[in-house]
Amino acid sequence: MSLEFLNAFKFIKKKSIMHKMDPRSKLVLSLIYTISALLFNEIIPLFFIFLSLVPIILLGKLFKQWIKSIRGLSFLIIFIVVLDTLFISFSFAIAMIFRILTMVSAFSIFFLTVDPNDLALSLISMKVPYEFAFSFSLAFRFVPTIAYEAQNIIDAQQSRGYEMQQKGLINQIKNLFPLLIPLIICSIRRAFNVAEALESRGFGSDKERSYYHTIKYSLKDWIFTFYSLLLLSVLIYISIGINYNFMPEFLTWSLPV
Amino acid sequence: MKNKIEMMQEIKDLPVVIFNEIGYSYPNGTEALKDISLNIFKGELMGIMGKNGAGKTTLIRTLNGLIRPTYGSIYIENENISSKSIATLSKKVGIIFQNPFHQLFANSVEEEIKFSLKSLNLHKEEIQMRVDQVLQEFSLEKYRNRSPLNLSGGESKKLALASIICRDPEILVFDEPTLGQDAKEIEFFINLIKKERKIGKTIIIITHNVEFAYDYLPRTILMADGQIISDGPTKKVLNNEFLIKQTSLILPQIRQFSIALQQTGYRDVEDVLTKNDMINYLSNLIQHKASNI
Repeated sequence: MSLEFLNAFKFIKKKSIMHKMDPRSKLVLSLIYTISALLFNEIIPLFFIFLSLVPIILLGKLFKQWIKSIRGLSFLIIFIVVLDTLFISFSFAIAMIFRILTMVSAFSIFFLTVDPNDLALSLISMKVPYEFAFSFSLAFRFVPTIAYEAQNIIDAQQSRGYEMQQKGLINQIKNLFPLLIPLIICSIRRAFNVAEALESRGFGSDKERSYYHTIKYSLKDWIFTFYSLLLLSVLIYISIGINYNFMPEFLTWSLPV
Repeated sequence: MKNKIEMMQEIKDLPVVIFNEIGYSYPNGTEALKDISLNIFKGELMGIMGKNGAGKTTLIRTLNGLIRPTYGSIYIENENISSKSIATLSKKVGIIFQNPFHQLFANSVEEEIKFSLKSLNLHKEEIQMRVDQVLQEFSLEKYRNRSPLNLSGGESKKLALASIICRDPEILVFDEPTLGQDAKEIEFFINLIKKERKIGKTIIIITHNVEFAYDYLPRTILMADGQIISDGPTKKVLNNEFLIKQTSLILPQIRQFSIALQQTGYRDVEDVLTKNDMINYLSNLIQHKASNI
């Protein structure tokens, strides 16, 4: 088994308009896309919201990584299809797939284009205390490290006869312990090490700090934010329109099953 | 009679592992192994040395199928391993990784070892016997009911070792076993590999420890940039200044000493390679000087 798909959320430095954008404007965009996806239950609007993300992904040169993150979702998608078809309808399942795709894509745009360091800075600019902002960005910094460690643990256990595939749900859950326990223990150990390393470098000794990097909300960020807000208001209008029946019929089209 | 000995010799000389021009690239495109061909013989004790990132760990991971080569094939005991599962291969090849905490998880030391034996389809008595045996061999008996996570660094490394050794694999692979070990622990390890070698195990050791390799490993391969750049008797490989520079290792102390002696004018020290030879050489020299006076 490989944990390749975790790379889908790993920040890689690239030169693109999306990468140069201020983290805050990208956060606004991701949040607005998430809210918009929650506004609708119908296939057509959700499909178009999803489609409108594609140019942004292409602008950020993220296509390959984005496909990877979508592939990582395949299990969840199957789960949604089965459950929704069983309890509601297949049409609703399709709509929910577009909803989850939109939400995941929006946030993968955010995490793929925001440097973890800038993330801390943007949180601080939103008046989040430095300690929290730092631990937040530290958590993201360690995602690939933990993925790497998990792979090593899988390798080490397999080398002594551990088998990944097991029959039966209970056995499968039991089978996770040899992987999860070392992973948790190693993570706790590392957390203590990091804390000691930080303290020995004087973390938190002064209230005021200075920053080497700074972030700036430029004109294109304002344009981008304006676009996001415009999109949200249009979508809210359409959503109200669907509820009060003054929108064209095709928007509420659904599959017969 | 002679024929029989020759035949035995021949069987012994059959390579137990054959790497046939294998290569491996990581999914992101980095080429980790390039055209590696290597024979490892039964009962051999071999070291793999080289810079960090030279591909040593990748190479050993191909042995039990954790990594499948992108091209080329690997044979273990004359069977191509490409179609064999990791579970099957791990019965033949036991890899002991650097960090013991990547595998310790059970409630007690005893259970930790039992977990390793679970997949071998052994009888209950056989399992208990092997557990007792291996706990005694590694002097971990007094910790039998203790949590593996409460052991000291050296002891947890021992336990990780024990949890592979108890499976009795034909080929033992160690990834930097001497790293962070104190002298006593290294001595224990050396005795262990001597014992395992006596019963015919093939042993492969990745190490950065030049003195350890020089003193205990008969054969060493040097790796750089995913390729094998040298393969031969350790004393020959590690005394090659040109190769050593390429792999950011340092020359063995005995060699450094003899180079220093050469520079002060003792030219005939050239082929002194072992500690014993050096003692003989020096005592001869002292006697010679004494008789001259």
